Amino acid sequence: MPTQEEKEQDEILVREMKAGRMEAFDKIFELYQRKIYALSFNMTRNQMDAQDVTQEVLLTIYRKIDTFQGKSAFSSWVYRITLNATYMKLRTKKKEQYVSLDEGLPNFNHAGFQNEKVSDWSKSTDSLLFSNETKGVIEKAVALLPEKEKVVFMLRDVEGLSTEKVGDILDLTIPAVKSRLHRARLFLRKRLSNYFDEYKTRSSKK
Amino acid sequence: MICCKECIDLLCDYFEGTLSPDTAASLEDHFKDCPPCVSFLETYRQTSDICRKTLSAVEIPEPVQIKLREFVKNHIQSP
Repeated sequence: MPTQEEKEQDEILVREMKAGRMEAFDKIFELYQRKIYALSFNMTRNQMDAQDVTQEVLLTIYRKIDTFQGKSAFSSWVYRITLNATYMKLRTKKKEQYVSLDEGLPNFNHAGFQNEKVSDWSKSTDSLLFSNETKGVIEKAVALLPEKEKVVFMLRDVEGLSTEKVGDILDLTIPAVKSRLHRARLFLRKRLSNYFDEYKTRSSKK
Repeated sequence: MICCKECIDLLCDYFEGTLSPDTAASLEDHFKDCPPCVSFLETYRQTSDICRKTLSAVEIPEPVQIKLREFVKNHIQSP
């Protein structure tokens, strides 16, 4: 999450860029290129697309800096441009079949109590939690999330931005951010639970 | 006492720390008597954690870094 210091540094860089100092752009490039690339890559899972988006965003920052009025943080502006460019990329691709997020919830009985056993894999060893296989499962599950939930999850949980900041970037209310985040987490939790349960069955048979 | 369904609906706010003290207390009361919900809570939290650790590790590959530097040089620094 950007600190007050980073925010002030951004403000200085924006002022210098508006005054035509190229060094300020170079600094912004250094500070933001990874953030832009990572967000775009996580949304598209495509290196070429993420590279295109990063180039486009850098060019937009350079050309449109005068239109940035500083009503919200510079970083929010950059995230917004990044997402717009990313959406354009996604639009040109074939629509993927998204799943229903309802499957993220457990079964409840009529009184609202859980009907099934809930296994706790959270204490599994690090080697399993961070194995390449788990990484693949996570990437696949995230790819299935509808765009609206995916983007909130990326900004809030992966980038670690605050709920308020995510609302600012996406122009959503706080409750809307939380509701999308919650749906995304429930869906991913379910997918991971299925995987870890299956893994346990697999290893006990060995 | 709140039921499991309500408990799960509140998890996001619980982790954000935005529940009223009363609601947070009844949630914690529920956890004391409901191991499935504790497992749910732990795996809900862990889901965010491992996804963050897995996906935030994205770095720009070297060839892309070179391309980006070239792009900036050709289109921005001396267009």
